Amino acid sequence: MNEFTFASSQPGQVQEIDQQDETKSDRPWIVIVWNDPINLMSYVTFVFQKLFGYSLEKATELMLDVHHKGRAVVSSGSRERAEFDVYRLHEHGLWATMEHETL
Amino acid sequence: MGDNGTRDVVKKNGPIFRLKNGNYRIELADDHRQLLTQLVEQLRDSLTTTTDDANLRRLFPTAYNNDAKKDAEYQRLMRDELLESRLAAIDVTIKVIAQDDEINAEEIDAFARSINSLRLVLGTTLDIAESDYGSQSDAQQSENSDGDGASRADEYLIQKELYEYLGWLLEWTVGAQSSGL
Repeated sequence: MNEFTFASSQPGQVQEIDQQDETKSDRPWIVIVWNDPINLMSYVTFVFQKLFGYSLEKATELMLDVHHKGRAVVSSGSRERAEFDVYRLHEHGLWATMEHETL
Repeated sequence: MGDNGTRDVVKKNGPIFRLKNGNYRIELADDHRQLLTQLVEQLRDSLTTTTDDANLRRLFPTAYNNDAKKDAEYQRLMRDELLESRLAAIDVTIKVIAQDDEINAEEIDAFARSINSLRLVLGTTLDIAESDYGSQSDAQQSENSDGDGASRADEYLIQKELYEYLGWLLEWTVGAQSSGL
């Protein structure tokens, strides 16, 4: 549910906030997996393959991004889809969060 | 209990392997099975007592890093479901460990998730960090031990050994599962 803040009674300004919110809500949600020192690299790769159907090469690339860069975006889409993916990643013990994709 | 000859095995050079019929087999010594059962039951007891224990925090991560309100709502809706999922996996794992028969893909998945949950809890307890791999921290623990320190160091080393054993077991599990993809 979007929340609107009516900061002014000026129609133009209200419209501006409305558009900003709409723009934000149109942006897809991204699911991020963060690096942690406990999960095995092989396990993380396997979970990416299993949950998202990625090839071994793609899953390995994402796992290495997590390991070396500290995070990797593993999926994107609607808020519901992102929450579903985050839940499945949590079920498998991975540290996953979701946020709006930045412009 | 059937005996799986090598003709039925895709690849066997460890304690956990995939069979040609798509099932899996876990071959562990009785004392290893007893140890794993004990550890998994302890995890179940901890989870059914409280999920607020700091050592369990890795099992219930935040979903929204930048939005506490959305995260609170997410946790309200999903935390119990996540707990139920973990407990269900533990129940399956206890059955899997207790028997010597073939197990299916769902059962080995539950086994893998439970072993990984144990590693997450033990790793959190041990305060495992990226730089911890190797023997230096273990050696330091031993050097700093005398009196009460000795028992603390012993406990640390036992837990570290368990942590490494679970990692070894999970590597074999993932290897077997990956051969089925």
